[in-house]
Amino acid sequence: MAQNNQVLPSKEQTLFRHLVQNYESKQYKKGLKAAEQILRKHPNHGDTQAMKALILSAQGKSDEAFELCRAALKNAMKSHVCWHVYGLLYRGQRNYEEALKAYRFALKLDPDSVQIQRDLAMLQIQMRDYEGYVQSRRAMLTARPGFRQNWTALAIALHLSGDLVGAEDVLHRYEETLRQQPSRSDMEHADAVLYKNMIIAERGDHEKALEHINSIMRTALDKTAVMEMRAEYLLKLDRKEEAKEAYTKLLKRNPEHRAYYEGLERALGLDRSNGDDHEKLGEMYHGWAMQSDRIDAARRIPLDFKQGDAFRSHADKYLRRMFKKGVPSTFANMKQLYSEPAKKAAVQELVEGYLSEEPQVNGGAEKTEETNGSVDGSHKAEAKPKTDPSITWQISVNYYLAQHYNYYLCRDLAKAEQYIDKTISLNPSKTDYTYHMTRARILKHRGNVSSASTAMNEAREMDLKDRYINTKCAKYQLRNHQHTDAISTMGLFTRKEAVGGPLGDLLDMQCVWFITEDGESHLRQNHLALALKRFRAVYDIFVAWEDDQFDFHSFSLRKGMIRAYVDMIRWEDRLREHPFFTRAALSAVRILCMLHDNPELAKGNLQNGESAENAAERKKAAKKAKREAEKAAEAEKKAKAEKATAKADEGGEVKKEDVDPEGKEGLKVAAEKPLEEAMKYLQPLLELSGGHVDGQIAGFEVYFRRKKYLPALRCLLAAQRIDPEHPKSHEQSLKLRHALGNLSEPLPEKAKQVTDSEFLSKQPK
Amino acid sequence: MDIRVLHPSDIPHVQQTNITNLPENYFCKYYLYHALSWPQLSYVAVDVSRPKKTPYDAPKIVGYVLAKMEEDPADGIQHGHITSLSVMRTHRRLGLAEKLMRQSQRAMFETYNAVYVSLHVRVSNVAALALYRDTLGFEVKGIEAKYYADGEDAYSMHRDLGYLREEALDDSDDEDTAGQDEGGE
Amino acid sequence: DAPDVLPANAEDRKAAQAMSSLDTKGDEDAAPKKEIDLKALNDAMKNLGVGQESKASTAAAKKEDAPKKLVKVDQADVTLLVDQLDMSKAKATELLRAHDADAVKAMTAWVTAAV
Repeated sequence: MAQNNQVLPSKEQTLFRHLVQNYESKQYKKGLKAAEQILRKHPNHGDTQAMKALILSAQGKSDEAFELCRAALKNAMKSHVCWHVYGLLYRGQRNYEEALKAYRFALKLDPDSVQIQRDLAMLQIQMRDYEGYVQSRRAMLTARPGFRQNWTALAIALHLSGDLVGAEDVLHRYEETLRQQPSRSDMEHADAVLYKNMIIAERGDHEKALEHINSIMRTALDKTAVMEMRAEYLLKLDRKEEAKEAYTKLLKRNPEHRAYYEGLERALGLDRSNGDDHEKLGEMYHGWAMQSDRIDAARRIPLDFKQGDAFRSHADKYLRRMFKKGVPSTFANMKQLYSEPAKKAAVQELVEGYLSEEPQVNGGAEKTEETNGSVDGSHKAEAKPKTDPSITWQISVNYYLAQHYNYYLCRDLAKAEQYIDKTISLNPSKTDYTYHMTRARILKHRGNVSSASTAMNEAREMDLKDRYINTKCAKYQLRNHQHTDAISTMGLFTRKEAVGGPLGDLLDMQCVWFITEDGESHLRQNHLALALKRFRAVYDIFVAWEDDQFDFHSFSLRKGMIRAYVDMIRWEDRLREHPFFTRAALSAVRILCMLHDNPELAKGNLQNGESAENAAERKKAAKKAKREAEKAAEAEKKAKAEKATAKADEGGEVKKEDVDPEGKEGLKVAAEKPLEEAMKYLQPLLELSGGHVDGQIAGFEVYFRRKKYLPALRCLLAAQRIDPEHPKSHEQSLKLRHALGNLSEPLPEKAKQVTDSEFLSKQPK
Repeated sequence: MDIRVLHPSDIPHVQQTNITNLPENYFCKYYLYHALSWPQLSYVAVDVSRPKKTPYDAPKIVGYVLAKMEEDPADGIQHGHITSLSVMRTHRRLGLAEKLMRQSQRAMFETYNAVYVSLHVRVSNVAALALYRDTLGFEVKGIEAKYYADGEDAYSMHRDLGYLREEALDDSDDEDTAGQDEGGE
Repeated sequence: DAPDVLPANAEDRKAAQAMSSLDTKGDEDAAPKKEIDLKALNDAMKNLGVGQESKASTAAAKKEDAPKKLVKVDQADVTLLVDQLDMSKAKATELLRAHDADAVKAMTAWVTAAV
């Protein structure tokens, strides 16, 4: 360390070492005490200030921490500790760019620091700076070549950066340094070998991949993966006989995995789209169905390709089997076939035919007992009485028809209601709410959200210990705008000690569906503040999910499960393509466009187009929210006493009280730059789910308002390609044409050429 | 239904299935911890016959088993542990729970040499208890007081995995025996 | 003060423990595995260095291959694309390079690109 006043006497040096240890073992109070003891005598000691800042930040006092760290840097510009800490503080705030700069500086000051190099590398991979990561990993390997994980890590870096040959080479080189085979139970070795195989296959060299996998078959620990990889290579190499054997073995282990059946079909050279192959395909599936009475896939799949009479007779057998067993998901399992009208008609005819059959004719159904029921710990079922097989059959048939007539492709709600009432009258159980639940669903389709909600609540009351029906009920309550009821319904199963009450728990537990439904319900009622707050919460959950990978960059190297790690990296890269994100983002964008068009919405008490009734409801909700906030504060006090739970104090931070429970402040902030805010939601939509027409439609709305006409045009053209019939595109097209014809300031010539040739010239005159 | 190993990309829906059905919930990171520590052990049941709405539809998870290896077994014996198992109420009677468990158990045995698998179940959950005992062959080993957050006790249950050793031997005796019924036992 | 106060019930305690162990430092100070042949290791390291250079240059060459090598891009066009297409400078430059530095061609391609 450079400056003289930065060198501590030996007593304080010892104290400083304690301080570092205290921080690392999360003994923050002790650490602070040590820091203050040093600072009393050496108030300008930068490293001590920095360590203190680090502890403050771990305690959630990040402003104070930054201030102190900046002071520390003034005192000790050339201290790698200070720069390292500065980087850590930025990292804590997710300001990765600045963190990266600080780490780099720290590393320049102390090039041999394992810790700084490690932190830099983790940040580089988190940011997908592959080039930087490869460089860091190379340096780390050079510094410590004796550790396998350093070799594996370099291979991962090369692999992800696209250098497959380099990655394979590094893994191979390490293997060659092994004097003897690692022990059979060495998981790190076992997975590294499979990882190498995966890279060879990704290079496209299936011949070599197969040869390699054959050489490790006997010792491999992940048997399923090895068998799958081998089968796939055989198929790719067109070695059909062996591929057939390989898929047969896999199917014996797991006869419910669709991909194995598809592999086997291809190995047999059979093609579902070719009618001539149907008989052979039928035989193949029949063979598997005969293996065990418990296999469903082999019985269900033929319905996908069989046609005409063959379909009819197979469907007949399939449905009878399911109805005898009383499988409630039968309709859910069949409805995909309804996209083919002939199949829909055949199924309807079959099932309606069952109604007139004497129930006993179908006998032979063993008395069924509810053994495979609620594995869910929420369900406290008393031992069920055995059900009469003829009753099971009748219930199944009527229940199926109720769902059939409730389905949009064959909707006849009067019939649906009639069948569900019949089903309910046959149901001997007082706790099995399944049919009551469907009744509520039918009522919802009738457009009666209020009685649907009441009906679902009745279903819920049949089995108070079951969270599934509780969940459904809360959802229906939200559809009916009963926010308070929905929260208290959910509260029956949330953790009592959660900070912020049931909603706090649902946020903690990342219960995306509830937050989204609640937001949409608020949006329908024009409660823009609360609605936006909820969508923002979903946005934040995705930020948390993205952040979750951070610890695994090092953890996975220690564990050695590399293939799973790479799988995670690839998932995280496309995280926001998930429909959970899209749904919340589309609503958020809608609100933000509304705010742009009418900034008054952010202030007004009576909101846009709101009726007096709604206003009353909203006031009630506001009062309720206030009460919730008070309760939350109370709960927090209690929680502090017991100290936070695992979930509340993840990351060592104590959860703070929500200072804006109604989202009013948030709405005001968003209204300052609504379109900028909208871009945060929009960008992932366009980048990751570009084929989703609603995303393109939303994209147009935002870009159009920002007067970014070329991106708006891009969205419009994309939407027209995806769905030429979409009602919105015509309207947007007119809007764009009008705007381009009335620009206050013309587009630059080159841009105008583009709008002319790609849009205006193609419009009907 | 499709029964397959859990991928990280399944986690949002597994998490949703869990919080829909069960009072014991976890954040995403805890699922990741399982998927990245013991990627062979957790399985999902996917409803593959859903009509697609967009090109980005996520697989609809109707059941899952989240499993791990015990890291420091108190008894010194390598064994697996079921962290969470759940099947949607709408997808009962298909034997999904059993099918999920069997895949997970075999992976515990094959990959980690597990001698047995353990789990906890609420003492009030008669249905689950019956499934584990009667269908899956678990035995009650004892009661853990106040295991759950709400103060309820748990049964601690074990299932010996020796049967897999025998199956494996049978297999190697006669590699090509057709018609071995995995599900039946 | 204890480093981490664990939750009272066993179910949560397990999760909390697992989570807090995620970011613990690795066994960086442990001895290397005994199966490793140290001499072989040194050789491997040397070779790695050699391999790296040739690989780096081929990787670099590959990168240069795709877009044409020496397309000169007009900064005014970059600025135009940044503004008109709402994209970063780096992306705008890349897009121009991929279309012979022709701004109209580049913008047309971008606007009509399949997404």
